[in-house]
Amino acid sequence: MAMATSRISKYDEYGFERPEDFDYALYEDFMSQYLKVLALRSKKWSSIMASPKGLKKSSSLKADIRKGIPLEHREKVWLFVSGANEERKKYRGDIYSDLTIVEDRDLADTIRTDLPRTFPENIYFNKSEESEGPNFQKQLFRVLVAYGQHNRKVGYCQGMNYIAGLLLLVTKNEESTFWLLKMLVEKILPDYYSRTMDGLLTDIDVISELVRLRYPDVSAHMSNLSFPWPVITTKWFICLFCEVLPTETVLRIWDCLFNEGSKVLFRVALTIISLHRAEILACEQFVDLSECLKGIIKGPSTLYCHKFLEQIFKVPGKLSLKDLNKMRNNMSKTRHMRK
Amino acid sequence: MANRSGPQRPNGTAQAKICQFKLVLLGESAVGKSSLVLRFVKGQFHEFQESTIGAAFLTQTVCVDDTTVKFEIWDTAGQERYHSLAPMYYRGAQAAIVVYDVTNQDTFGRAKTWVKELQRQASPNIVIALAGNKADLANKRSVELEEAQAYAEENQLLFMETSAKTAKNVNEVFLAIAKKLPKNDQNVNPSVPVNITAWLTICVLRAGHF
Ligand SMILES: Nc1nc2c(ncn2[C@@H]2O[C@H](COP(=O)(O)OP(=O)(O)OP(=O)(O)O)[C@@H](O)[C@H]2O)c(=O)[nH]1
Ligand SMILES: [Mg+2]
Repeated sequence: MAMATSRISKYDEYGFERPEDFDYALYEDFMSQYLKVLALRSKKWSSIMASPKGLKKSSSLKADIRKGIPLEHREKVWLFVSGANEERKKYRGDIYSDLTIVEDRDLADTIRTDLPRTFPENIYFNKSEESEGPNFQKQLFRVLVAYGQHNRKVGYCQGMNYIAGLLLLVTKNEESTFWLLKMLVEKILPDYYSRTMDGLLTDIDVISELVRLRYPDVSAHMSNLSFPWPVITTKWFICLFCEVLPTETVLRIWDCLFNEGSKVLFRVALTIISLHRAEILACEQFVDLSECLKGIIKGPSTLYCHKFLEQIFKVPGKLSLKDLNKMRNNMSKTRHMRK
Repeated sequence: MANRSGPQRPNGTAQAKICQFKLVLLGESAVGKSSLVLRFVKGQFHEFQESTIGAAFLTQTVCVDDTTVKFEIWDTAGQERYHSLAPMYYRGAQAAIVVYDVTNQDTFGRAKTWVKELQRQASPNIVIALAGNKADLANKRSVELEEAQAYAEENQLLFMETSAKTAKNVNEVFLAIAKKLPKNDQNVNPSVPVNITAWLTICVLRAGHF
């Protein structure tokens, strides 16, 4: 154990400090397998990136994205497959730097309050720590102000700080972060972050309905314990599993999210529930269930991200965008009627 | 851990009563709701506490006379737009702590709005406490103690100025609520007494923090 601890840094490759209860032995086992995967993927992606039409939409590209984009290519691939590059062309000149000039003071104040509260355990965001690397707090401020002033309907919603923060850690580029954030908020996700959070409320209802249809025993059990779904799912949707699952797993999910859309989030949620069905059903009290869910997201099933990503496309079964959108419509109608 | 314990009850004393209550924390973002809970539950304080997305759930136990009061604590997100999710958390709550930041007048206004909403929409017998947090920053104060006290009296709220940072009045707020809650049979948790000794140990441990 002691040896494992000394070999693995206190910080992960994205600058996050590992928690006190971090399971080094488990992590080492995972990494010993995952490094091989990464080496293979790296080779494959070098050839994809070298080919002029490598990123053109195709089923083989989709499969390769599901198997993971190497970190060094993520920025480029995300910008391409999300449509951010195309979107950017619709605007004349460089809109980003103008948008970073603070005009809306209230917005800037709200964002400023959240800066030291975003990833305080990450060396790139933690000002007090002397780190050689870049300090992303200022950049995070500019990206969030720029986006809030660009999209006044949304402004700033708590949760966007984590998303933009993780985007910065991956791309190390403010402007790319701005465009990727824009694509997520406006194109990829439903209306999660606006003042009414309409899309979020709908998707919360949709996931509980999907669980009811696919895992009726789990659904019944949760309602017996009067466990409200939003308690867990709000953060899943708002943070896109960032601050919930291990970072590497989150990035693998985001690879697919940028390429395939918000459907992926439901696949992840359903897979987590399905894989841990027995544990959930074994909880006899509300409190136990809450603890159980906290444990699940820290456990091996999601740490082994390569296996987990395979599972999200198998375990929950068929989930078409058409059906999902139909459900979203129904749920939204029902909710507005209830009011 | 055991060395912290004070006088312990004999194992499984029959008359020990255990009551369980749902408590919700409400208030503007960054006033210190999560910090108060963290102080109360774990005895810790983080200079930079992450903003809460959705809600967090924790439990803690206190002793009042011969009764063990177990709090199921719902710590909610403060940003205005998360408001539509709040009713789900205060529905059925027997107690609420509405928090504001003594250095920020706006947050006091927001606290009043929460109190009104609770009085209208929550359970009629809900015990509400108003907490003026960050009392350690007295030099930056913008909400006067007397002002808040008068408001609390008018609305029959428990009231204390607290500091999650120095721990001032944190356990006291929860304890005051525990004292005020009705400890009738209805709230006695039927599934708990199986392991009464464990509960009492937590209970004694908590007392050590006072
Ligand atoms: N000086 C001082 N700072 C405090 C105190 N309580 C909290 N803080 C700081 O205020 C900031 C916000 O505290 P939180 O506990 O996250 O506030 P919150 O109400 O939970 O905020 P949301 O989750 O966004 O709704 C943190 O950086 C805390 O360290 C206090 O009593 N004194
Ligand atoms: Mg909080």
